[in-house]
Amino acid sequence: MSSMSTRHILLGLLASGPSHGYDLKRRHDERFPQARPLAYGQVYTTLQRLVRDGLAEVEGTESDGGPERTAYRTTEEGTRELTRWAAQIAPPAPFVTNEIFAKVVVSILSGGDPAAYLRAQRAAHMARMRELTAVKTAPGADLATVLSADYALNHLDADLRWMTTTAARLTTLTAEVDAA
Amino acid sequence: MTNGDTTEPLLAAHQLVKAHGRTPALRGASVELRAGEILAVTGASGSGKSTLLHCLAGIVRPDGGSVTYAGQRLDRLPEKRLSELRRTDFGVVFQFGQLIPELTALDNVALPLMLAGAGRAEARARAAEWLERFGVLGQEDLRPGEMSGGQAQRAALARALVTGPKAVFADEPTGALDSLAGEQVMTALAHTAREAGTAVLLVTHDAQVAAYADREIQLRDGVVAPAEVTA
Amino acid sequence: MSTVSSPAARSSVRSDARLARELLRGSDRREWWRIGLTAAGAALATGFALAAVVLASLRGGHDFSVGHGLLDAPGTRAGVVSGLLLLLVPVLGFLGQCARIGAVHRDRRLAGLRLAGATPWQVRRIAALETGLACLLGSAVTTVFSVLLLLRLWSRPSGAAWAGVALVAVGVPVLGALAGVLALRRVVASPLGRVRRVRPESGRGPRLLFLGALPVVAVTGTLAVAGTGTGSGGRDHWQGPLAVFGLVIAVGAGAVWLAGATARFVGGLLAVRARSAATLIAAARLYDDPWAPARTHAAVLLVTVTGTVFLCVRHALLTELRAMEHPAADMSYYTTGLDLTGAAILVALAITLSGLAVGTAESLATRRRTLAAQAAAGVPRTVLNRALLLETALPLAPALLLAGAGGLAVGTWYSALTGDASLPWAALLVAPGVYASCLLAAATALPLLSRSVRPGELRYA
Repeated sequence: MSSMSTRHILLGLLASGPSHGYDLKRRHDERFPQARPLAYGQVYTTLQRLVRDGLAEVEGTESDGGPERTAYRTTEEGTRELTRWAAQIAPPAPFVTNEIFAKVVVSILSGGDPAAYLRAQRAAHMARMRELTAVKTAPGADLATVLSADYALNHLDADLRWMTTTAARLTTLTAEVDAA
Repeated sequence: MTNGDTTEPLLAAHQLVKAHGRTPALRGASVELRAGEILAVTGASGSGKSTLLHCLAGIVRPDGGSVTYAGQRLDRLPEKRLSELRRTDFGVVFQFGQLIPELTALDNVALPLMLAGAGRAEARARAAEWLERFGVLGQEDLRPGEMSGGQAQRAALARALVTGPKAVFADEPTGALDSLAGEQVMTALAHTAREAGTAVLLVTHDAQVAAYADREIQLRDGVVAPAEVTA
Repeated sequence: MSTVSSPAARSSVRSDARLARELLRGSDRREWWRIGLTAAGAALATGFALAAVVLASLRGGHDFSVGHGLLDAPGTRAGVVSGLLLLLVPVLGFLGQCARIGAVHRDRRLAGLRLAGATPWQVRRIAALETGLACLLGSAVTTVFSVLLLLRLWSRPSGAAWAGVALVAVGVPVLGALAGVLALRRVVASPLGRVRRVRPESGRGPRLLFLGALPVVAVTGTLAVAGTGTGSGGRDHWQGPLAVFGLVIAVGAGAVWLAGATARFVGGLLAVRARSAATLIAAARLYDDPWAPARTHAAVLLVTVTGTVFLCVRHALLTELRAMEHPAADMSYYTTGLDLTGAAILVALAITLSGLAVGTAESLATRRRTLAAQAAAGVPRTVLNRALLLETALPLAPALLLAGAGGLAVGTWYSALTGDASLPWAALLVAPGVYASCLLAAATALPLLSRSVRPGELRYA
């Protein structure tokens, strides 16, 4: 997820009421279990940018014994921005940055073994898919976990299909790359 | 994969060769199924997946090579013994066809128990327990054609597992289902097999289905493709 | 007709024929079985019909070298003609059973044609060509041999006889083609319809036919009896044949209804109480579709009733004849007539049994994937064999008991009318004998079962 949407996700978490940075990070990681966990520093800088842009403001500071903690809340403009963003469609894959494809082409260019690379990559993908399947079928897994695992599984599956067809057409691809 | 390779495999096939007419299906495939593991067999259409399953389950006799189950050579057993073994020690799940269309779900599941000598009432009672386990209770009096594909397939799982087999052979068990129904069938199969310590040989072309397994082998042109070291 | 349209029409028929041939060439082997058996059935039907027509064309007394004088007088000749026509009933049943062989494949093939853009008429023409040509083949073979035989027996056949022969030779293929079109009306109406599983028929048809025919029998029968009482002339002759016709329909439909109802009753009863796997499978199948074997079983019932009654009547007649000091004719005149009737009943039984065997084989062939999956799951071959035999044995046992009892009742009534009311022991054996031969006929499908359960069948979706 890009930092652009981290802004909006934090705004979304703030929509249910004022919250401080650590709390936001914990709730984020709970709600999006299969996403990359947020670093606390990232939460802090994002919150400051939100305040700078007038989308959030400081609610107050408290320190019951421990370190000082700042609570934030969303502003009216923040709520408007969140509504606008949530309704906006995500552009369907605007740029294809396919690392696997790049590696296959580079492997052909440098006289490597793209087939072996694809097989190893496939094995790694399958291993990750087994992990995700285990996570999603574990007893007591909540729906959010299942759905986010499914999202990842479907993307990995799409990669796998692509790798399978590519592996079957490597000879033609090699000829094409070498000719160019 | 996890429990080391030192344990004796439940079922081992060595250098299987099998042709359908003049078309070779298996050309020296070797595979081991360990007790309690779920093994996925994947590969393109026509790579010999189903034939491998048929040979391992003792449904088809290979032209060459050996299949060993619990110390006996399956490829040398007489058909009567094989049939008995399939009834008692193995279970099968196909894409469709394993439920008798005229029997209710309950009778379909009770059938293997009746064949094993159980009385009708006892068989039906135990069948009902298994249907409940697979979430098909309440529909036990429906026939396969009156159930949704997913329910029918879960009833088929119950039928395969009701006798407490050592190994279940599933050939594209979700092939005719949509992804949600397929997920329910696979979850039910994986859970029950792990709980009961049943080994599963799962033939599929779908990576998401294969991901339910502990381990995967790939068939390519009738032989097992060399395993890649996972990075 | 018009010179403009006829070449186009001819070329379209020719292209249809070519299409039909191409489709058949790539089709299932069982479709060839259907065509072969259809041709055989058509040959049989043509034979009976030709004999009936030629005999019916005769007027007055003749002197034949065959038949011990039975064919000489118009009265007994009429009896022989009706006997031959009645033999057409089991033949038609057999043809109906043959139409089911590979029907699923044929329907799928023709539905595919419809999906590919063929018009309903084209599909109808192709289907009609297929069945019609098979029937034409059968009828042509029989006609050729019959005509040769006819010319040997009768040096100068009359014009009426020739007309009848031509009518039958052409009529059988035309009727066959029409039946083919009729059987396809649902495929033609909806190209997707029959690709799915065929729903079991309901018993409403035969029941309505039975109940509808009863009043016809009652009314015409009463009229006919009243007619003979007053002794009026040719004006009232239609009532007798109509009563017989109604009776045939009522008895036939009643037999179908009885067969289906017994199958459903037995199936329902045993599906709940079955203790063995084989009984359970057989009973559930009977309960699910009791009407599938009803037509063949009905023919079995009719043959049983007829056979039992015949043996009683034969016994009574012979007893009476032997008691007579001076019979009106040579004893062999009567015995030949009786033997011919007996032979006709045996032929009917043979045709019915063939229909039963064909039906059993077809029911195996259509569910060979399920059977293969059962065998793969370890269901013993013996259980599958037993289930198959039980499917014939279970419903026929009570139905044949009823039929045998009914036949004996009629026979007893007849012999009570004519004489000493004694019964031949052989009449008691008809029902068990028919039962045993039915089981044997069903058992001829067992080799096909062991071929069906080959795991190779698991590979086809």
